[in-house]
Amino acid sequence: MFGLPTQDEPIPFDELPLDDPLLFDEPAGVVIPDIEWSAIAPNLILMLGGILLLTVVSLVRGRTPSWFSAVWTISTAVFAGVTLVPLWQRVQDDGAESVMAGAIGLDGFSLFVTGVMCLSVVLGALLLEGYLRREGLAGPEWYVLLLLSASGGVTMASANDLIVMFIGLEILSVAVYVMAAMHSKRVSSQEAGLKYFVLGAFSSAFLLYGIAMVYGATGTTNLVGIQQFLSETVLTQNGLLLAGFAFMLVGFGFKVGAVPFHNWTPDVYQGAPSPVVAYMASGVKVAGFAGMIRVFVVTFGPTYGADWRPMVYALAMLSLVVGSFGAIVQTDVKRMLAYSSISHGGFILVAVAANSEAGTAAALFYLLVYTFMIAGSFGIVTIMGRTGDGLHALSDYRGLSKARPGLALLFTVFLLAQAGVPFTGGFLAKFYVINSSVSQGQYVLALIAMSAAVVAAFLYLRIVVAMYFDGNTYRGESATLAGPKVRIPAAAGVALGIAVVGTLWLGILPGQMTSVAGDAVAQLVAIGP
Amino acid sequence: MGQYLPLITLLVLTGVFGAVSVVVSRVLNPPRPTEAKSSAYESGITDITEPPERFPVRFYLIAMIFIVFDIEIIFFYPFTMVYSELGWYGVIAIVIFSAAVFESFLYLISNGALDWGPARISRRSVIASDPDRTSTTTVRRVGADGRAFALDGEES
Repeated sequence: MFGLPTQDEPIPFDELPLDDPLLFDEPAGVVIPDIEWSAIAPNLILMLGGILLLTVVSLVRGRTPSWFSAVWTISTAVFAGVTLVPLWQRVQDDGAESVMAGAIGLDGFSLFVTGVMCLSVVLGALLLEGYLRREGLAGPEWYVLLLLSASGGVTMASANDLIVMFIGLEILSVAVYVMAAMHSKRVSSQEAGLKYFVLGAFSSAFLLYGIAMVYGATGTTNLVGIQQFLSETVLTQNGLLLAGFAFMLVGFGFKVGAVPFHNWTPDVYQGAPSPVVAYMASGVKVAGFAGMIRVFVVTFGPTYGADWRPMVYALAMLSLVVGSFGAIVQTDVKRMLAYSSISHGGFILVAVAANSEAGTAAALFYLLVYTFMIAGSFGIVTIMGRTGDGLHALSDYRGLSKARPGLALLFTVFLLAQAGVPFTGGFLAKFYVINSSVSQGQYVLALIAMSAAVVAAFLYLRIVVAMYFDGNTYRGESATLAGPKVRIPAAAGVALGIAVVGTLWLGILPGQMTSVAGDAVAQLVAIGP
Repeated sequence: MGQYLPLITLLVLTGVFGAVSVVVSRVLNPPRPTEAKSSAYESGITDITEPPERFPVRFYLIAMIFIVFDIEIIFFYPFTMVYSELGWYGVIAIVIFSAAVFESFLYLISNGALDWGPARISRRSVIASDPDRTSTTTVRRVGADGRAFALDGEES
């Protein structure tokens, strides 16, 4: 088994960092941490917004107008997004900081991810509004869970401590487990919720095992402390540390749906309510990748990059191949998009495997574009599912171009963007990822990524063909759209508009956002004096 | 390795205990199932219908209220041990914490966790109050196809 790490020479007593409050508590008296509320303002706003929404709705007991919760949620997320601006200025001017006694890192990376989380909350809430009305499920709980989950995601992305990161992950996940099961009229939704919960809890346990092992190997859960320890100490036996890497990677791999930990993804995406899937595919993945980059690239990257990179390399390769080929054989659009999200996850893993600043920037840009694309795609799926959220077969999309040409066109844009067609954000996102990979000498992985993109393009075109195909020649069936009339709620229309504008804007005028993503550097800073 | 010896001993003992329990229970009480033994109830009328899928579990909500206060107490206890050292910082932190936890209690109450009376009829059935109802509008006709003869007064 793995031996405990031993040092050749015991550290002399006077060199022990006894004055470090993180490592050794003073027995007499408690060290009161310096709490700087403004530094975690976006997170606080998201969390308080959720709690206050629940309080207000509980106090007035159902006497709020039906749009109240959605408007509250969207304004909370927008407000949290606005507070990012001064913080971003502060980080760009004064550099990154550690706040809350070193538990939270305030850097460009965490702020960027917070912004993307706010975006996915706005899109998710817009999609939820019409959906809940249509399905007769209206209630504030969905929005409360959405806000709390986003707050957990932000905590995870900005954590400077493995325990804080784990708490963030749990806040993020538990809320989403519930949301996946909250379509009380569909058995498949409850099945999805249960599957997601069991597998998610399983993966959290893996992550926790990994954290425990890394703590055992390094003596601290603080990322700054771990990084310092690893750069100053040469471990004669690093089995425990490497086992910790592997376990943590399994935990994160589950969360981001990387092959071979992807098996929950198609079932959960298919069964869960469509707007929740839009949030799950964007927000939850963003937070998962943020945590992964923070732990692996930033903390372990400089010293032990050579040890974990092959593992991420393999995960990326498998995700790309299985995601692309798995999607082709599906006949359910939600399952197709689930597999395509696995393939997108593979692309982001390629950027993670690059283990460089350019790779992190490419991953961030990809996550931003991906949020627009996937929220838009699942927005269309939400609308097309119609009452009951059940019409998701590929054949249910046949003839959409005639019944709803605008919707078909929007879906085409989102699908082409996912395929990586130029003048959409998807092209540049894939380009930056492959660029960062090649600059680190990962030619094979870059080749596989490009081939996988070609294979995946077939899948997206298959949906496009189903929407536009002249039905008179298609297996003798007419091309009229089957099922009830397609209604687009106003809020969902706004969400689709935001998503398509974002997708095209990042494809045509990417300069601004790429420089922002480039500035969003992840840094670990020890707490100042 | 010596420090792990108690753990390994415990592990072995646990396994032995489990194995012995299974074997002894088999030996002393060999399973001879009969139809009556393996049915859910050994007396009374056998249930021929499936139980309804959803039924109110009110104790579940009471249990939730218990957990809300349980968590609050668990965190209050260590706080009271060190509150003088924590000073105002601790007071503010515990107030924030209790407000957040108490909030869930508020939500439970507003969702009717303590409303134990009989369920109110919020909406009358449309069929029951329809003055025009007759036996032909309320009784569902399953059709006379396949029957030997048509019902009296009806055209098949």
